[in-house]
Amino acid sequence: MQEFNYHRPVTITELKENLSQPGARILAGGTDIVPKMRQGKFSAPILVDTSGVAAMHFVEDQGSQIVLGALTTHQEAADSALLKNVNPALVTAAESIGCQQTRCRGTLGGNIANASPAADTIPPLLIYDATLLLQSMTGERRILLEKFLLGPGEIDLKDGEFIHSISFKPLSRAWGSAFIKVGKRSGMAISVVNTAVAVELNQEGKISDIRIALGSVAPTVIRCREVEDSLLGKEPEPELMKEIHAACQKDISPITDVRSTEEYRDHAAEVIIHRALECAVEQAKGRMR
Amino acid sequence: MKEISIVFLLNGKKTSITCMPNRTLLDVLRTDLGLTGAKDACGGEGECGACTVILDGKPVNSCMIFIGQVEGTQITTIEGLMEKGEYHQLQKAFVEAGAVQCGFCTPGAILTAKALLDENPHPTDQEIRDGLSGNLCRCTGYNKMIDAVHLAEEGSLDD
Repeated sequence: MQEFNYHRPVTITELKENLSQPGARILAGGTDIVPKMRQGKFSAPILVDTSGVAAMHFVEDQGSQIVLGALTTHQEAADSALLKNVNPALVTAAESIGCQQTRCRGTLGGNIANASPAADTIPPLLIYDATLLLQSMTGERRILLEKFLLGPGEIDLKDGEFIHSISFKPLSRAWGSAFIKVGKRSGMAISVVNTAVAVELNQEGKISDIRIALGSVAPTVIRCREVEDSLLGKEPEPELMKEIHAACQKDISPITDVRSTEEYRDHAAEVIIHRALECAVEQAKGRMR
Repeated sequence: MKEISIVFLLNGKKTSITCMPNRTLLDVLRTDLGLTGAKDACGGEGECGACTVILDGKPVNSCMIFIGQVEGTQITTIEGLMEKGEYHQLQKAFVEAGAVQCGFCTPGAILTAKALLDENPHPTDQEIRDGLSGNLCRCTGYNKMIDAVHLAEEGSLDD
């Protein structure tokens, strides 16, 4: 195991101070970093452990925004009654990660900072246009999650900065959202492809808002914005649904790797977008009645 | 690298340890504290669940936790399940149902099952399957573990 000096702040002020040291890196749940350090794929002279920072551990309804502390674990997200109401896609995604043991340790902030193109909690946050609050000794800034993700494992996080919390606006009117992933098996599998979809219908049953995010088919999880725009004002008919996934394919660039092939990802993406959309539209219609 | 000192509750006893921070909880339990119930089977990748312990009521892979992260927590290992010389219901049930074969995954599976029953005293088959999905077993075929959890839940082993 690699060597490092260890700090365990308990307040956010201490966390900022600890992270301002040159070479300091943050340790959240450890489900990615500990195995990577053992394998020599990650190293840092200083590790700042956040397990004592209680102030970044919360799920709150702040009226116009839902705010999630970066240290919220996947299991806490999966068990949250508030999230079940406002972002069921995120609950489904959190439930689908790893197993109990990893869900109880892994955090939303860690999943985002790890920036895997296959991260399961990112698509359901992208479809809600989630924003991150980043903090450091010198101040704080907000950034759209979509802008924060630069490439596989690459994020717009400066030295000394950390993700404090994640916020998003709940949808109103008649909406529905769904998350679907495909992996080799249901337990412990990393997504071969995943998708989160949100739809809002107006009083005439036409699409007033639609958001589609796809994971594991591009260098980052992506939003298919062109397709979204082209569908506004249309009725969610089965024929239109077929067009949607055909159009989404323009935005994706799946590759062949250890987990799957380009061809399979291409095909599976079509199938799960279709299923997720049907599911989201059903929920939205249920809210119209 | 500087040593760190931490304090936590291990199987109900206050435990202090001073060691290098790049040690995992699993390593400290087995090497420094002599508790070899938690096993290393997958080489520290968090894939197999053989190193599962209960940390503040939740099942966790002790191979993926640096020792500093357990400061102030409560940890239960398989060695802490016995009470007053009596095996725990789940330990008896695993034996009774034939859910122990080579035994390597057993401590982790029993602790995961304990955390499950503590939160959900009457789980369905599917809930047990989901709960145990992070514990690999190459011998039992899992069905006997599910039987064992139901057996422990019913308390039919009291007599």
